[in-house]
Amino acid sequence: MRTLTRVLEGIGSTLQLLVQSLSHVPTLPRQWGRFIEQCYLIGYTTLPIVAILSFFIGSVLALQSGYSMENFGAKQFIGSLVGLSIARELGPVMCAILLAGRVGSAIAAELASMKVYQEIDALETMNIPPARILVLPRLAAVLVMMPVLAIIANLVGWFGGAIVAKYTDFIAIDPPAYFAALRRFMEFKDVLNGLIKAEVFGFAVVLVSCNIGLNTRGGPREIGASVTRAVVTSLILILVLDYFVTKALL
Amino acid sequence: MQNSQQTARVGLFFILGVALIWVTFETLSGGKVFKDQGYHIVAGFTSLKELKTGDEVRMAGVKIGEVEKTRLAGRRAEALLRISPDVKIKADATATIVMAGLIGTNYIGIDLGSEAAADLRDGAEIKTAVTPDLNSVMSQIGELGKKIEGALGNLGGALSGDGKSPGIIQKVDQLVTENRENLAQTTGNLRSITDKMNRGEGTLGKLINDPVLYTDLQSALSEIRGGANEAKTFIANAQAILDEVKRGQGAIGALVYDQKAADDLKASIANFRTVSDNLAKGKGTLGQLLNDDTLIRDTRAIMRKADRALDGLDDAGPLTAVGVVANGLF
Amino acid sequence: MADSRCSATRNPFTHTETPAVSVAIEDLSKSFGKLEVLKHVSFQVEPGEIFVLMGPSGSGKSVLLKHIVGLELPSGGRVTVDGRDAAAAETREQIRLALVFQAGALFNSMTVYNNLALYLREHRVADEAGIREKVMRALQILSLEAAAEKYPSELSGGMKKRVAIARALVMEPQLMLYDEPTSELDPVMAATISEIIATLKDQYHVTTIVVSHDRDLALNIADRVGILMGGQLVFLGTRDELRASADPRVVDFLNPKIDLANPRFKQLET
Repeated sequence: MRTLTRVLEGIGSTLQLLVQSLSHVPTLPRQWGRFIEQCYLIGYTTLPIVAILSFFIGSVLALQSGYSMENFGAKQFIGSLVGLSIARELGPVMCAILLAGRVGSAIAAELASMKVYQEIDALETMNIPPARILVLPRLAAVLVMMPVLAIIANLVGWFGGAIVAKYTDFIAIDPPAYFAALRRFMEFKDVLNGLIKAEVFGFAVVLVSCNIGLNTRGGPREIGASVTRAVVTSLILILVLDYFVTKALL
Repeated sequence: MQNSQQTARVGLFFILGVALIWVTFETLSGGKVFKDQGYHIVAGFTSLKELKTGDEVRMAGVKIGEVEKTRLAGRRAEALLRISPDVKIKADATATIVMAGLIGTNYIGIDLGSEAAADLRDGAEIKTAVTPDLNSVMSQIGELGKKIEGALGNLGGALSGDGKSPGIIQKVDQLVTENRENLAQTTGNLRSITDKMNRGEGTLGKLINDPVLYTDLQSALSEIRGGANEAKTFIANAQAILDEVKRGQGAIGALVYDQKAADDLKASIANFRTVSDNLAKGKGTLGQLLNDDTLIRDTRAIMRKADRALDGLDDAGPLTAVGVVANGLF
Repeated sequence: MADSRCSATRNPFTHTETPAVSVAIEDLSKSFGKLEVLKHVSFQVEPGEIFVLMGPSGSGKSVLLKHIVGLELPSGGRVTVDGRDAAAAETREQIRLALVFQAGALFNSMTVYNNLALYLREHRVADEAGIREKVMRALQILSLEAAAEKYPSELSGGMKKRVAIARALVMEPQLMLYDEPTSELDPVMAATISEIIATLKDQYHVTTIVVSHDRDLALNIADRVGILMGGQLVFLGTRDELRASADPRVVDFLNPKIDLANPRFKQLET
């Protein structure tokens, strides 16, 4: 019962924070500096890990599908399988999971320590809503950066698959054939689908992490607890949202 | 708070992302923006099946354009085709949805049409034809299998009976069993008849054995001889007709004595000889039929196949199952 | 915002009239779950005076302070600033109040300069040149010019407190609140902070509420003193009245005897 109350409380405060942040949208142009800073942290510094991970996801996907599709002679469809699964599902989900681990945790830690060391209270007394200068620039930054991360994850993943498909003995499919198969069953709609998903996940991760950070209570020990909670909640949320967004976009 | 290097990196990163999205868009949607050339024709179908935007349009197997848009128009589905400008499509050409592989991927195939017909212009509608898709073929095979099975069941029933009424074989067996005595009697009778004939008994026996009959036969022969005299007069008459023929009178006369007719006849006979020669050499269909071993071999193979097929039809079960599975799958 | 009850003061930055404000605590109660922190507390703070709220640790002083700035909502009773409900968000837009936090609550990710400039930038008080002028003047008042480009983590405890005060000062507040301004400081630095508080009040005539258990501060700069114990106000009066008080709780609080034969922590056990 207490858990249920806490979950509902979390949902409520998250939505409240969202509304508060949205109400400050007109101040966004004045926050250009903070926005760029957050873009840098969310997008630019997350890129290497996203690229590395999606490369190997693509490779493994090609390897596994090559191994299993060889049995019924559908090897030439590896490109389609890798392409579609990365574009529609794995690209956005991997990006969001990395974002939760790398950015969500950082946001929760920063805001939780600001809360614990009363910086948030100080902002409140200065009549500067935290939603305006701490949450809104992050939300705007993630909205701008997430599609970029997701498209890079897609392309790197596809190329990873192509390289494995060419240099694995039992698959041995040339990149042109691989990409032809990839193109044959894929429309831009599929990629767009993935980008929308990434956008939704990224937004949710940042919003939830901000909310958990801002609602930290107690001493410095709670900072760590908030980070853990932010990451776990983000991961659960990504997978739950994944189902519903996929269903809505089908 | 913000340094210019950071801003530059974020800007670069963002531009890179937008460029990549653009490239992906261009690649996957067939590069509409740069290659928006050519003219459009409309193809209406009752169903577009698996056809989707970006699929190829081929004429005689050569790619000439692609499906730009699919839409519902009233009671039918329409595909808007973009055809490259250097390709002309004839007004009587027909478009069909062709399946390129077992799994998905269709393209629109357009035949060449006749040379005399006018070219289709931009926005014109092309004739379409419905091709059976894998689905319907599969279901037909399934139905065929069921029919064959039914027919064989009937045949089997007729031959061996269905448990209630006896089958043909059983009936014949029964017939023979029931009439064994009659048959034995019949063959006994036959033997006694031939015995009697041998002994000169009965009309036929007498004919063979009786000396009296020889005299009758003698008189019959003399009668025939009389007949021969009559024939002589008939021949004389015939002689008279032949004389007439010789003089070129009547149809046959003309045939025999008219030079042209004779030539014609000669030519006909020559033709006939070449035909027969050809036949002997194995030329022409008939000749092959007569002289070609392969044909016989083929025939024999067909017969063997038919034989095997008939054997196989005992296992008509699996065939139907395939049909049913195929139905279920598609 | 002219108010006849308020005495006017000339603002050090804008040279415009900013009226000091009064604070009224009316029958304030606050509980966290079953724990009652404040029990029916009532008092008034007059415009332009220094009110020092004293009391042992855990007596509810800081909680009371948070009620005045609207960071906590009362369970019972109400807090008004210049007649407006302190819990309402609009109050903070109409009345500029500044809270100097116990630990400073400086923004650790920003330099001292940016800590001070944040309020001015966010509320678009002036352009960047005007902001620079205001910030540097505030730093000058507290002798902090050298620390402008430092980060809070590079500062000593006393400097952090002074930066926090400077940050409050640039807001040109009508009400200054200090939460334990002299705690964790050596006696000389504590005296310096006390002097700053008194000087700021004298120069700018700003209503000041100080939460502290520093009796030197209370006895030297307070106009009036309140003592909070166990969530209840046990004393309210001028610093002279405080000195003269015969209430054993007050006497014991101000001059605790260190009795090794009968230590207090053992009394608590029985």
